[in-house]
Amino acid sequence: MGILKLDHVVKRFGEFTAVDDLSFEVAEGGIFGFLGGNGAGKTTSLRMALDIIRPSSGTIEILGRKPGRENASEIGFLPEERGLYRRMTVLDTIVYFGRLKGMDAASAKKEAERLIERFGLSEWTKSMVEKLSKGMSQKVQVAAAMVNHPRLLILDEPFSGLDPVNQKVLEDLVLEMARAGSTVVFSTHIMQHAERLTNRIVLLARGRKVFEGTQEEARARLPGRLTLVSEADPSSLTGIASATRAGAANGWNSWDVSLKPGVAPGDLLQVCTQNGFALRGFESHRPSLHDVFIHLVGPEQETQP
Amino acid sequence: MKNILLVAAREYKQIASTRGFWVMLLVLPVVIGVSQVAGRFFRPQTDSAYVLVDQSGQYEAAIDRRLNLNYQRVELGALSAYVQRWELGGIAPDAIWAKGERWFSDDQVAQFVADGGIDAAWERIAPGKPKDAPAYVIDPPTYVRASLPAGVTDQKGADAFAEALAEPLKGDEIDTPEGQRPLALAVWIPAEVSTTSPVRMWTNGAPNTTLVDNVRNEIARVQRARALEASGLAPEIATGIANIATPIDLSAPPQGAGREQVVIRSALPLAMVYLLLVTVMTTGSMMLQGVIEERSNKLLESILATIRPAELMYGKLLGLGAIGLTILVVWVGAAVGAALSVQGIVADIVNPSLAAIEPWMFAAMLFYFLAGYLIISMLYLAIGALSNSLQDAQAYLMPVIMIIMLPVVFMMVSVIQQPNGTFPVVMSWIPLYTPFAMLARLGAGVNVVEVLGTGAMLTVFVAIEMILLGRIFQASLLRTGQPPNLSGFLAMMVGKHTG
Repeated sequence: MGILKLDHVVKRFGEFTAVDDLSFEVAEGGIFGFLGGNGAGKTTSLRMALDIIRPSSGTIEILGRKPGRENASEIGFLPEERGLYRRMTVLDTIVYFGRLKGMDAASAKKEAERLIERFGLSEWTKSMVEKLSKGMSQKVQVAAAMVNHPRLLILDEPFSGLDPVNQKVLEDLVLEMARAGSTVVFSTHIMQHAERLTNRIVLLARGRKVFEGTQEEARARLPGRLTLVSEADPSSLTGIASATRAGAANGWNSWDVSLKPGVAPGDLLQVCTQNGFALRGFESHRPSLHDVFIHLVGPEQETQP
Repeated sequence: MKNILLVAAREYKQIASTRGFWVMLLVLPVVIGVSQVAGRFFRPQTDSAYVLVDQSGQYEAAIDRRLNLNYQRVELGALSAYVQRWELGGIAPDAIWAKGERWFSDDQVAQFVADGGIDAAWERIAPGKPKDAPAYVIDPPTYVRASLPAGVTDQKGADAFAEALAEPLKGDEIDTPEGQRPLALAVWIPAEVSTTSPVRMWTNGAPNTTLVDNVRNEIARVQRARALEASGLAPEIATGIANIATPIDLSAPPQGAGREQVVIRSALPLAMVYLLLVTVMTTGSMMLQGVIEERSNKLLESILATIRPAELMYGKLLGLGAIGLTILVVWVGAAVGAALSVQGIVADIVNPSLAAIEPWMFAAMLFYFLAGYLIISMLYLAIGALSNSLQDAQAYLMPVIMIIMLPVVFMMVSVIQQPNGTFPVVMSWIPLYTPFAMLARLGAGVNVVEVLGTGAMLTVFVAIEMILLGRIFQASLLRTGQPPNLSGFLAMMVGKHTG
């Protein structure tokens, strides 16, 4: 059963359509990537899932129920725009969010202290948030999102603003949460993170879904690319869409080759063998999610690779 | 409800942890305490000594008697007020001090002195005073006659006398029967008082008007008697004429009644109006900053994922209401506590006011206070929700404060002059001003219909305001960009917002 399901959801702000007929389903367990460039409708969709705003039309199911605060005890949410009460201590902040999610005071405190230690914030437990660095504040926010051991953890652009070290800490934490049984849905426009973490993805552009599936399924949407080193021009070989000479050395030419849709690099290798086409080099290029995104969405919705 | 309480507790804790809150909370109790202490320990010194040389031997006793009568009159008045306050009249119903503070004639005071004066009176009263009543403090006489300081003689004439006293009159303290006191006045009465041989007085520079007047009047009175006697009247007739004083029977209403009734009864309700203004403006600003902080710190989205906007709004109102109530309880508690436990300025104002307030008025005062607090707090909350920054908020806040404050200030002036005049009565029926107007008028006497009518109207108004605020709050919290214009604002109020 899907833990999050959007069915023909539309959200309009006046004349502007932020989300347009969006449907997808997130299965329970694993890490789900919600990808798209800026303004693609990711945050709006997540807000609707959390009942912060209501859809103009369409239906949403979360944890098998309608969106609402009744679900808060099973959800952790880290919004894209983050902030904390500056004059609250680290411990009080995490406990406060735990209690808002229905935890009793003792459990919230115990879990808050565990997370504080896990994030290396122990010496700041009683410090006011205003005394923390940006990185430490973000850790507190993540801890506040996770304090209730959520069944569904929704992270909206969780890596933005974090330095590489803290990005790695957060990546590890996301993996840990997933291993512990939580379903993690995170939105991002940084494809590296999605590539490393997600099992399935949805790609959004201008409020519309352009792809839903696994990373491999997404890559399969792109024509295969490889580099051949041969004396002869490979353009006439079956399955090749185009071949461009990229360089030459010692009488051998290097070719950038694009395959026709549905043709795998292995298929081309077989064709070369069957036709006695002399090869000195064969290197298959695996497309990145960034390549997939550019291919599916277009360069005007550029993301960070 | 749990979420509302959690938000309220957080709001309360956050504000209560600020230094500003504690300064505001404690300022009134400190002022009250200081006024009590100041009243007791820092009272300007009015006690002083005088020396008198009466070469004629005719005036000395009269002057001493007059000063003692005046002293005993003051003590008799204060003791009568004490007896009235602690309801001790039953100890000696016929005693002059048993009938409350009023004006006492010379004859009455003379009789009081003949009966033993203030010391004897207090000896009778003291055993019957309640345990919680403080003992009556007998003040020493304001002016005490002192013997001539060492080295000063009256044998070498007025000029030598003056010269010898020049130093002591610069502020030295001299020995008196009541201990050391600064010398305030030296009087030289020649053997024969005339225009060529006048009574001479030297002061320490302070006016000492009362003392000088008393000495002058007594000398004049004795001189009048002497003159009448010299014209052939029998001495007793001459003295009688010289002593003529208009017989006055001055009746004053008891405390809490008569011409002071309105002022006394209104003291506490009027104080509540000022308290309401101060607390709502102060805590309103805190609330405003809190909402703006949540908006500018981008933490609303995290909160709104767990609780409804209405819960957030009600939690804030409840938390800030609790702050207001805390201030009210501490301030009123301090005033009432001071009034009940110690004597002083506060006690003199609060005690009669408390005594004059009927029990239902306390309930009405609390209702109007809380309703007023809610009405204004909600305006602050709405402004906070609409504003991206304190600068934005100022633009909304200034006209709102003016709209609230100006009519209230005018109304307060009007209420003191004419509590049931047209302006205060009309203001009582305008919900925004009802709490202020009704609080201000309560002490002067308002009828039950007016209280119930304005109360019902106020309740409905608060409910409507709450609904409208809820809509504005919900529509504004995650809004970005410039604050809305009038049409956008109206759209929010009728619920036609996007988001």
